[in-house]
Amino acid sequence: MTPIPAIETRGLTRTFESRKGFLFREVTRTEALRGVDLAVAPESIFGLLGPNGAGKTTFVKILSTLLLPTGGKASVLGHDVVDDSAWLRPRIGLVLGGERGLYNRINARDNLRYFADLYGIPTREREARIESVLERVGLTWAADRRVEEYSRGMKQKLHIARGILHRPQVLFLDEPTIGLDPKSARETRKLVRSLVSDGVTIFLTTHYMFEAEELCPEIAVMSKGRIVARDTVAGLRHLVGGDRTLEAEAYGFEDREVATLRALPGVSKIVSEEYGPKTRLTLRLRSLETTPDDVQAALPGHTELSVRERRTSLEDVYLDLVEEEAR
Amino acid sequence: MATVNASAGAPLAPATRTSFWRTFWTNAVIAPRTTLGFMRIDFVLGTIFIIPLMQMVFFVFVVQVSGGGASAIAFTALGNAVSTVTYSSIFSVCQTTDSEKQQGTMEHLLVSPANRLALYFGRGLLPILISLATVSVGILYAVLLFGVQIPVATVPSLAVSVTLTAFAMVGFGLLLGGVALYLRTSIILGNIFLFIGLLLSGVNFPASQLPTVLQWIGYGFPLTWGLSAIRASVAGDSLGAVALLWGAVVVAAVVSFGLAIGLWEYFERRALATGSIARF
Amino acid sequence: MATADVPAISRSRATRASLRLAVLMFMADPQWLIPSMIAPVIFGVVAFELFRGAGPYFLTYAILGAGMMSMWGQTLYGSGWAIGQDREFGTLEPTVQSPTPYVYVVLGRVLWNVVSGLMGGGIVYLVVLASAGSPPAVPDPVGFVILFLFVMLTLASVGILFSAAWVYTRYSGFIQNVGEFAFYVGTGCMFPIVLLPFWTNPIGLFFPPTWALDALRYLSIPGYVGFSWGFWPDILGAVVTTLVYVAIAGTIFKRVELHVLAKGNLSDY
Repeated sequence: MTPIPAIETRGLTRTFESRKGFLFREVTRTEALRGVDLAVAPESIFGLLGPNGAGKTTFVKILSTLLLPTGGKASVLGHDVVDDSAWLRPRIGLVLGGERGLYNRINARDNLRYFADLYGIPTREREARIESVLERVGLTWAADRRVEEYSRGMKQKLHIARGILHRPQVLFLDEPTIGLDPKSARETRKLVRSLVSDGVTIFLTTHYMFEAEELCPEIAVMSKGRIVARDTVAGLRHLVGGDRTLEAEAYGFEDREVATLRALPGVSKIVSEEYGPKTRLTLRLRSLETTPDDVQAALPGHTELSVRERRTSLEDVYLDLVEEEAR
Repeated sequence: MATVNASAGAPLAPATRTSFWRTFWTNAVIAPRTTLGFMRIDFVLGTIFIIPLMQMVFFVFVVQVSGGGASAIAFTALGNAVSTVTYSSIFSVCQTTDSEKQQGTMEHLLVSPANRLALYFGRGLLPILISLATVSVGILYAVLLFGVQIPVATVPSLAVSVTLTAFAMVGFGLLLGGVALYLRTSIILGNIFLFIGLLLSGVNFPASQLPTVLQWIGYGFPLTWGLSAIRASVAGDSLGAVALLWGAVVVAAVVSFGLAIGLWEYFERRALATGSIARF
Repeated sequence: MATADVPAISRSRATRASLRLAVLMFMADPQWLIPSMIAPVIFGVVAFELFRGAGPYFLTYAILGAGMMSMWGQTLYGSGWAIGQDREFGTLEPTVQSPTPYVYVVLGRVLWNVVSGLMGGGIVYLVVLASAGSPPAVPDPVGFVILFLFVMLTLASVGILFSAAWVYTRYSGFIQNVGEFAFYVGTGCMFPIVLLPFWTNPIGLFFPPTWALDALRYLSIPGYVGFSWGFWPDILGAVVTTLVYVAIAGTIFKRVELHVLAKGNLSDY
């Protein structure tokens, strides 16, 4: 029997309207989500990548019952996010992060006490639970300091502590490591992994490719309100033309040279970029047949030619997909 | 080791008269838009047309209940018509400061090399215009609805009194805006001075009814002098008598603007020293 | 960390938590004490001066009027402002996202403002007392105190509904500024609304404090002429309108929440 997806959306749309003008009201409509279909398996980490303004936060807010969709359906743990929001709220956690969203004038412990009460965490367990999450995010030492004295990274940790305080079954993390130093970011990633082993489904949005690659077995790329690709990292590599990438750099290439490279076995795609006086050709390869030497041989007469091979990174995949969508 | 070339990069714009006016104008037009109250035209219209009417109706009825006659009603109506200037002068300027702290733009403003004089004075321009409109509409209500008599001959004198009062009150608002830089929120200051104005500035009853100490405190507020000048103008007092009060309003305005500049600089330093610029 | 069974949400606990938070926030920013103390003092002196000599019960009139203005300010302004702060701090989103219905969070904030409103009322009493030199004559002191507390309850019921406006839109502060004196006029804080043009009376009757305050004046000012129906119908009107406010509060908040979730303006400030 196929398990019920932890998160499922079908044709999800969201349009924002803004009005301006006093006598003559001008209405501007922005389509933040344009028919998103997605299913996320339970007890996994799912990553959502996308450029700024792609609709990631809008998507997360709808799934966490903070925003109503204008079309389509969304369910979490098999329950509709609109009709069953009361059932869902105690079972999901949301970490939006940033400088806002906390009571800055009081300390971290009191912030957590307040939310523990709103989530109905049993009173006898409350203090122990607060201690435990503070320890987990590494904030015990600063628990009694006012939040306004916190650094950005500490605030981010407190956001996470609040998000996991009530032990949600699904946790939405919107760019959880933004603003964190490398050590704290690594600790946060470790924390996220440990949550999954505790049975929590994590839905993560991020800008950091290595983070997505490290944490998420499955990734979707969102651009302009649509999911443009969804697969494992290996699958996405294949989607944009292969695991291997060759880069050839010289002072300009002729069209016929590019055509020759395109004809080499296994070459699925060539992207040309100019920077300064030089041009870089990036070749995606589906097979092992073509080597850097073959490329070197196909481009005779270039005195300053350099060719190197590397593995196609998630960043390559991401940029290819987003640029393709932009075209 | 890499070295930094001090002359590299775009040349700095010289502090010319043009840059002064540019800073002034930017602050006059853009800064008020950052506050909620002055972002929307319907809010501005509400400040000008509804607040004075409601405040006047309220106090006029109180005077009626307490057995006040036509002259007491006229006194109260005119006093409240003028006191509503507090909303557009003190509240709006303080709100701009609060709003910029909340949006995190105040820090950027303080690190900019903009001329502070132009910056602060620019912020006062729109509130002065709205204050003028608010008091004028309030006085119109006083005449049309509450029996305040204003002989046509006194209108020029009244116009001068109203204009000077608007300037002085906005200067006072800027002064409080400087304090607001240091406080978490300045809406408190706005409230305090709205209420103090009602009590000490002769809005609802002659300040002479108050104990001497309170009367002296009242003289520290530009509203007290502005309202006295407006009442003298409406009463048709001699030009010499009114001019004396105008002089007092001008002094109040100059002192307010001067203190405002000093306080902005002082509290800018305090706020930067204590880090309160990022607290709200 | 195993995911726990979902605990039952206790509404009274949420309200207590919200009340505690309001106290903590107040303590963290005690400068609010200044306007909380100054406003009642000023209302008290203004009322005393305006009512001076207006009959034998002018002191009671002044205390009731200024006390009401002060309590109005604390209860309504304070409650709305607390929600406005949630918008500023960005805490409205996580609070609405929690399983506790937001109206119970608001109730906690309103309760704190009722307490500070009572302090305001007390300050007004002391100020007018100090100005007059002797306490006002109150025919039924026990009844007065009970009814006074009831007036606070009616104010709280209005405070809860007014707070919904702050959830609804970030512009509520301005709307409240514009409406402040209109509320004072419409509900007869300082004078009976029967003095107002007749067409305005139904608007005043829509607010529970209008009834409760009229009853309080009937009780404490011999010869008072307010609504022609007298004391007990006033009490009945106050109870009924308060119950209506409390009954519709949950529904209104639910609708407001749906509106802001549809609009997506919970994080605007």
